[in-house]
Amino acid sequence: MSQKQLPKEYYELLEELQAVDFVLVELTLYLDTHPNDFEAIQQFNEYAKMKKQLKKRYEKEYGPLQQYGNSYSNYPWDWKDAPWPWQV
Amino acid sequence: MHTNRKFYEPYVSPFDPCPPIRVKSYSTPPNLYMGFQPPGLEQYTARAALQKGTLWKAFYDPYPYPYPSKREE
Repeated sequence: MSQKQLPKEYYELLEELQAVDFVLVELTLYLDTHPNDFEAIQQFNEYAKMKKQLKKRYEKEYGPLQQYGNSYSNYPWDWKDAPWPWQV
Repeated sequence: MHTNRKFYEPYVSPFDPCPPIRVKSYSTPPNLYMGFQPPGLEQYTARAALQKGTLWKAFYDPYPYPYPSKREE
C-alpha cells in the first residue's frame, strides 16, 4: 500500500506558515516590552491576518492544523492520520 | 573597529603539559550593546527572519567560528 506522498506545495505552504508564525512570536515578545509602538502593532495585526489566511488554505487542502477546536475537522475524524509534523 | 569578539590571556603555568594557548576569545551577543530596543529598527523579511533566527537585523548573531577553518589553512 503506497503511502501518499505530500506535494511540493505542502512544504512551501508550511514554510510560509512557519515564517509568519516566527514573525508573530518575535513581535509578541517585542510588544510585551513596547506596548505603545503603533507600527509594530499594525505589523502584528497584518501578520495575524496573513496567518489566518494561510491556515485556512492549509486546512482546506491538508486537514486540521491544530486541535481542541482550533481547527475544523473533516469527516471522518482524521487529525490523527499520518503524516505527523515530525514525519513530514 | 567594534567587534562582538572579546579576547583575554589565560594564565600559563610553567608546569602546563601542553603548548600554552596565549590568547583566547569569546563571542558576545549584540543585545548586550543595545540596551532598551528602540522602535522602528530595520527588519528582515519573514522568510529571512525564520532562517536567521531574529526579526531585526541589529540582533543577528551567527556566532562565527573564530578560527580559520582547516580547509582555508
